[in-house]
Amino acid sequence: MSSRPRVVVTGIGAVTSVGIGVDVFWRAILSGACGIGTVESFDTAAYSVHIGGEVKQFEPRTFMERLRPGEIARASQLAIAAARLALQDAALGAGALDPFASGVSIGTTSGEPTMIEQFNDKETAGQRERIGPEFIEQYPCHVIAAHVASELGLAGPNLVIPTACAAGNYALAYASDAIRHGEADVMLAGGADAFSRITYTGFARLGAIAPARCQPFDKHRKGMVPGEGAAILVLERRDRAMERGARVYAELVGYGLTCDANHMTAPQGDGAARAMRMAMADAGVRPDEIGYISAHGTGTLINDRIETAAVKQAFGDAAYAVPMSSIKSMLGHTMGAASAIEAAACALAVRDDRIPPTINYETADPECDLDYVPNAARRVPVELSMNNAYAFGGNNASVIFRKHHA
Amino acid sequence: MTTDRRSVVVTGRGAICAMGDRPAGIFDALCEGRAPFAAPTLFAPDLTPGIEVAEVPRFAADTYVQGGNIRPLDRTGRLALVGVELALADSGWSADRRTDHVLGLVLGTMFCSVKTIGEFDRRALQAGPGYVSPMDFSNTVLNAAAGQVAIWQKLRGVNSTIATGSTSGLHAIGYGAQLIQRGRADALLAGGAEEICYESCYGFYRAGRLASVNGEAKPRVAPFDAHRNGTLMGEGAAFLVLESEESARARHATVLARVLGFGSSYDPDARDSPTAPAGALAAAIRRAIADAGVTPEQIGAVVSSASGSPRLDAREAAGIASVVGPSVPVTAIKSMTGEALGASGALQALTAIEALRSGTLPGVAGLTQLDPTISLNVTAGTRAVSATHALVTAVTPEGNCCAVVLAG
Repeated sequence: MSSRPRVVVTGIGAVTSVGIGVDVFWRAILSGACGIGTVESFDTAAYSVHIGGEVKQFEPRTFMERLRPGEIARASQLAIAAARLALQDAALGAGALDPFASGVSIGTTSGEPTMIEQFNDKETAGQRERIGPEFIEQYPCHVIAAHVASELGLAGPNLVIPTACAAGNYALAYASDAIRHGEADVMLAGGADAFSRITYTGFARLGAIAPARCQPFDKHRKGMVPGEGAAILVLERRDRAMERGARVYAELVGYGLTCDANHMTAPQGDGAARAMRMAMADAGVRPDEIGYISAHGTGTLINDRIETAAVKQAFGDAAYAVPMSSIKSMLGHTMGAASAIEAAACALAVRDDRIPPTINYETADPECDLDYVPNAARRVPVELSMNNAYAFGGNNASVIFRKHHA
Repeated sequence: MTTDRRSVVVTGRGAICAMGDRPAGIFDALCEGRAPFAAPTLFAPDLTPGIEVAEVPRFAADTYVQGGNIRPLDRTGRLALVGVELALADSGWSADRRTDHVLGLVLGTMFCSVKTIGEFDRRALQAGPGYVSPMDFSNTVLNAAAGQVAIWQKLRGVNSTIATGSTSGLHAIGYGAQLIQRGRADALLAGGAEEICYESCYGFYRAGRLASVNGEAKPRVAPFDAHRNGTLMGEGAAFLVLESEESARARHATVLARVLGFGSSYDPDARDSPTAPAGALAAAIRRAIADAGVTPEQIGAVVSSASGSPRLDAREAAGIASVVGPSVPVTAIKSMTGEALGASGALQALTAIEALRSGTLPGVAGLTQLDPTISLNVTAGTRAVSATHALVTAVTPEGNCCAVVLAG
């Protein structure tokens, strides 16, 4: 495998509730900023919870030259913005990409949920005849990657991987293989999810939404907080990136994908541990070499407990020495975008030797006894970072980034 | 350039659609040109006047699988479960064996279940958000079918869902094969599933994409025909068991076919330009053929995704012709299976495998007059072909293009 092209991250685009653009995002999460507030996307009067991590002050028009905001829905808008920012960040201007060697791989949980919500608003209002072609043109989730490629003129491999809350990592895995095996030189890979009434309703019904804040791994954690956002990473063949003198954030050195095959919504732990081990074997690294774990860390009682146990299972004694934080404490759970945004944080962590904190951490939980980087960012050498994501359907995905040495 | 990659063999296939629930039976029905379209029973037919669909008749998943609770699975999940169950049985991957070996699943779908998602949200709107079912919520994620099938069949390996519209099922087979070639998995199921439901059918109907009666007694789907005017919806699931040659040999499995090559691309101009050139599909086909290590001259049959769409059939035909030329026998199955979206590409691959094995290529049902602008060797009648290699192609209105090369 050593003759395979290596895959590096040369650009990051982030559209998040704590800021738009990679530098704004990174400064915000290092400072412990919180993007969670009162939900504005829809009326939450009928719910017992009212907070969410929405992207505010987002002007899609700013990022679009070819498509029009009115003809695409919000997840596509977020994805296009992230993709454009990522290309700018990578200094890949118009004409710098070979269209057929440049693809798009995007993960999502819900696709374009606002389109089925609008369908239902008309349906339940007795206005079925007002449902027009826009539903079939804008709802199916594969349009997110299609819209990004149409906006940017990219003709390489193009797909959406809707593996729920691990989708961003699945999309990164697909894209890195496409480069390693010669299908593409550059892949725009990441995740996007729009704030969704359906998602909010479901988690509210499960009693999983925290009333006031997200406190991953805290003894008194009260749940997750739904959010939205997008992150796109420019993955590029390393030799190509070197040739053009690109700035490199990190190298994507391995991944592991598994399934619990046990329960749709309750994590089991064994599958997560297998995914971590597979990723480390793929990267050729040992647990004690991992310098940072970006946790799935949703803030629910069960996730954080099972995840902690899974890290111990995969890392053994080394688990206690690895800093592991959850930036969901600041952004909420951005669903399919989450692991893409967290992958951005992992790439930044190895570049800068900085680790973002888990905010709102107050009381240690005996069942969650690892180093969660409570409340303050840390400056520490990070040679390797691991990005963990788990999902409905029992999906587990781990991706590993290495510091780039030119 | 890829000397260390592993060979991928097909050791099992399972399918269920309006044409039947056994690969041989479905293939016979395709060769007979059966077109089982009728008024929908899964939603009120007056919602889409004049439209017919190809539903799986009297579908009952529990006649195919035993020993579990079918209730948590929606229709898409159940179709996928049955397709996977039949493929596993065909390949000899018994339940016992699956406890010792890790199997993966790559499932292509366009909507998973937009019926489940739509009904969940309408329940919340009408009764209040506290009255939705938590079980239904777990099925609103777009990987619900893949998750449910993995639980039922104990598939603990890679579990990916691929969404590329009506190319999803073929893309899933291509990606599944790559995962084995690249040593990421030893064996997995790859294919697709889709259900017929009000939400998607009404959406297609309102977008004007469905075949209309057009002055005739019934709507007629006619891929590549000069007078084609749209598609009709179908549903179903189709899965292949893909495994490394070593894995198949070690368990003395029968090799039904080989997946040799895969290529995918996207046409960024497709949505704006009805006459966009077929360059993206041609690129995907060329990539698949090169990936397979064969030449265009070796392709002896093509199973296309043509569905009766005025725009797309012409574009797909041009892409195919530009790479393999105008004389290779080409067919299309959607005037019989219906447009089964995420399942379509997998049903096409299954058709190609049966064609390679039997030396017979189904004709294109409904075709009466080939579009004079289409330079392909397409016939209405079923014919003999002597093909060692088959090409399967698929395109979407958005611009997704996908091609797979199979060998007998």
